[in-house]
Parts: sequence; C-alpha cells; structure tokens
Amino acid sequence: MYKKILDKLQVLTISFEKWLNKVFSQQYNPFYYHGAVPNLFMWTLFITGLLLFAYFQPTLDSAYISVNYISNKIPFGSVVRGMHRYSADAMMIAVLIHAIRVYFTDRYRKYRWIAWYSGVALILCMLVIGITGYVLVWDERSYMIVLMMTDALKQIPVIGFPLAELFVNGKVITHYTMAMSFFLHVGISFFLFYLLWLHYLRISRPVTDVPLGLGLLLTATIVIPSALIPVVSGKPAVLTQTPQEFPLDWFYLWIFPLFSGMPALIVWTALFIGVAVLLAVPYLITDEPKSPAIVSLSNCVGCTLCAKDCPYEAIYMVPRTDHPKFKQLAIVIDSRCAECGLCVGACAFKAIDLPQEHSKEIIAKIGDVLKEPAGVGT
Amino acid sequence: MAKKKKILGIICERSVDLKKHIQNNKLKEKENVAVVEMICSGMIQPIMIEEAFKSGAEGVFVMGCQIGDCHFREGNKWCQDRLLGLRPPNIKKTIDKNKIRGFWLAKCDYKKFMEKVNKFEHDLNNLPVSETTKPAEAKV
Repeated sequence: MYKKILDKLQVLTISFEKWLNKVFSQQYNPFYYHGAVPNLFMWTLFITGLLLFAYFQPTLDSAYISVNYISNKIPFGSVVRGMHRYSADAMMIAVLIHAIRVYFTDRYRKYRWIAWYSGVALILCMLVIGITGYVLVWDERSYMIVLMMTDALKQIPVIGFPLAELFVNGKVITHYTMAMSFFLHVGISFFLFYLLWLHYLRISRPVTDVPLGLGLLLTATIVIPSALIPVVSGKPAVLTQTPQEFPLDWFYLWIFPLFSGMPALIVWTALFIGVAVLLAVPYLITDEPKSPAIVSLSNCVGCTLCAKDCPYEAIYMVPRTDHPKFKQLAIVIDSRCAECGLCVGACAFKAIDLPQEHSKEIIAKIGDVLKEPAGVGT
Repeated sequence: MAKKKKILGIICERSVDLKKHIQNNKLKEKENVAVVEMICSGMIQPIMIEEAFKSGAEGVFVMGCQIGDCHFREGNKWCQDRLLGLRPPNIKKTIDKNKIRGFWLAKCDYKKFMEKVNKFEHDLNNLPVSETTKPAEAKV
C-alpha cells in the first residue's frame, strides 16, 4: 500500500518534471538541479551575510541601530539585507523541494542513508540559524523570539534550564544574549559545511552548481524582490515592554505559533517524534537483499574505467603485485555499492559483475531472445 | 516486404514502463521488437550491443531515463556518451552506427516510445544497403 502510493507519487513527480522540461528545456530544468539550487541560495546567504557582518554590531543597544544603518545609509545595504532574508526563505523552499523529490523518487534509502541523515541534520541546523538570525535585528519580534524560546526551552526536562541559560547566555537578557545569537547564527552556518561534506561523502561528482542561465534567473528572483520590497525592522525592542504579536516567517518561525497554542513540552515531543520518524523513513521499505559488485581477480586489467564511472565512490584502485603486467586492481567497498551496474557497463574485460544480474546471463538472454522466431509476416 | 526487421531493445527498467506491453520478451504491439530489461542503461556494455548484432538483430536501440534524471545519478549519461563514442569502452567501429539508437524517456512516455520505435524501424528499412550488410554475406 505504502509502496504503491510512493510509486504513484514518483510518476506524478516525473510527469511534472516532463512538463517543466517543456518550459525550461532539459538542460535548465531546475528540478534536475534540485540539490544545486539550495546550494546557490546558501552561497548567496554566505556572501550577503559576510557583507552584513561588516557593519553589524551585536549588542542590545546598537544591533537595531546598526541594522537600520545598513538598510538606510550603506549603498545597496537594503538590497543586501533583503537578499539575505529572501534567499533564506528561498533556500528553505528549495531544500524542502529537494527532500520531497528525493523521497518521491525513492532516492533516500539503502546506500543513500548517510545523505538522508545528514540532510535531516542540515534542515535542523537551518532552523536554528534562521531563528537566531531573526534575533539579530533586535526589534519587537526578536525580543518575542528570545522570550518564547527561553520559556519553551525551560520546559524540556533535565537539560531545559541549562539550554535556556545557554541560549540567553546568562539568567537575564544582556548584551551577551545578542553575542550568543550572533555566534549561533554564524557558527552553525559554518557547521553546515561539515554536514554538507557528509551529505556529499559517497557521491562522485556531486552536482553543486546550477547552469549559468538558471543561476542568473534564480538570483534575479531574489534580487528583484529585495530591491522592490525592502526588508524593514519592526519597532525596536524595549526590555520593559512585552510585545504581543509579530509578523511571522512561516519557513523558520513556524514553531512559535505552536508554542503559544499548546504546552511547549508537547511541541518538543512532537518535534522529537517528527525527527525520529524522518530518521526511520529510509528503513520502512525493505527489498530483497542483493549483493554488491564483484571484481574478478583474473580478468581485471587495472584500467580504472569502473572506478571513474562509479557514481557512489564505491570503487577504488589499489596496487597489485601478483600480476606481471597489470599494476592496479579495482576494489569494491560493499557498503557503498548501489548495485546499479554502472561499473559493469564501463568494463570491457568482463572483470566486474553483479552476482544477481551477471553480464554473461544478459548476453545469453540477448542471444536467446533474438533466436526465437520473430516477426514473420507482412 | 516479406519480413520485418528484427529489432532488439536493451532498456532500463526504470524508464518507460513496459510491463503491461511485453509478452514473451517481445512488444505486444510489434512482435519484431524484442526487449531485454536491465537495472540501468549505464550497465549496458558495448559487447552486449555487438552480441545482439551477432545474434541476428538488424537494429538495436538502447533506452534509458531522461538525461538529467537517472536513479543511479549518471547511468544514462555514461550510456549516451558511449553510444556517441565519447566514453570508453567504445562500440566496435565495424558496426554501422545507423543501426543503433538511444532513447531517453521517462516512465510514463509509452506513446513517445512507440513513435520512436516506429521511426527507428522506418529509418532501418530505408538504410542504403552497404558493403558489409549485403544479403549474400549476411547469410553466412
């Protein structure tokens, strides 16, 4: 049942992409760069973040002023700030599309588990980066976020209070609160690189860049709104007044309406279960076990073609001494092997094969199929 | 025309869904088209294509998913490059490239697939008879 639904969803995704192919052409279809698009937005965020970093002052007194200074006094400051905000939202949308597409097209499990797990971690990190980013503006919304987050963190049993103190960086809101948010915002951003390294770990030649045309188009969709609808701060935060409402960013701040609607502990539990379900998803479907590619010692000539063609970095060349002529031997790392047979296609010496679908059998089958009396008649 | 050309399709099981359209390894609509399914078009060895011609096929088409969308990331790209002679191992030069085709279609493209097969058959029938494929020699 579950599998059938997934099959339907896969056909739906493919049909949608076929339609997109008509609009963008196969070469520029953004869905064929669903992993590279978030990457583009991430780099936009890094570059614009670096520019904002030059003028931002992370203290309670001057954060609000410096952000407004960037917006009003620095040439193009408002555009850069807008780009930082809008590409954050765009990145979350792109990441969700990436995750959903990967899920619908059955490309998230088995040998891909490490990419799925690091992807879940990346999304969680993005949420923390987003929430702390909204603190940095230090308007009423920022104050509200700090208050609600602190309250919510305190509800977590055992580690709640230390976590809340860590977040506020002390018992009350001080300049150090701002410093902590700034640190989390920037520090975790750099931690993304480690997670991305894990994300790409078992992928040869990961597609990390979109074609120029598509890149320009996507950048334009960020730059134009940034120029036309500048991002502005709300009223400055006043520590003696507790604000009641704030405009919501549904991609990063969706957890706060939940906090105001129900006990924080329930929200945390739901979040925890949600993450646990995500981590369990790759193991919900099981296929019959297959076995990874096997190299035939006597046939391998060490030509490296299979190692070059393997899309999952599962084949390595090692030096060999047992053969007078051939100096290298291909080795398959079983845990990385996707059993896809691309190495078989790359081998001209019948040296590497899938045990369950041996090239010999296929060749024999080709012979058999053609031998049968075919298509006699008009 | 007394006999239809024997055509073999070596296809990726994730591209056009032929499960309902195959009987006895042959297309129900076109009995002269035999089909062998594989895990991925990237697994197709040039030897397999050569073997098909040796076994009497008069045309071979290879089918994979749309370029840009391979379940195993790069299989159809590698296969396409091999057909074009851009990536080793190469297909033997003695084989007439006009008799080999690559189709890159998605799961739900059955209609397009049939159009391409018909077009391929039509092209095969209109191929000029070359030195190597003279009927007399082909009989041996």
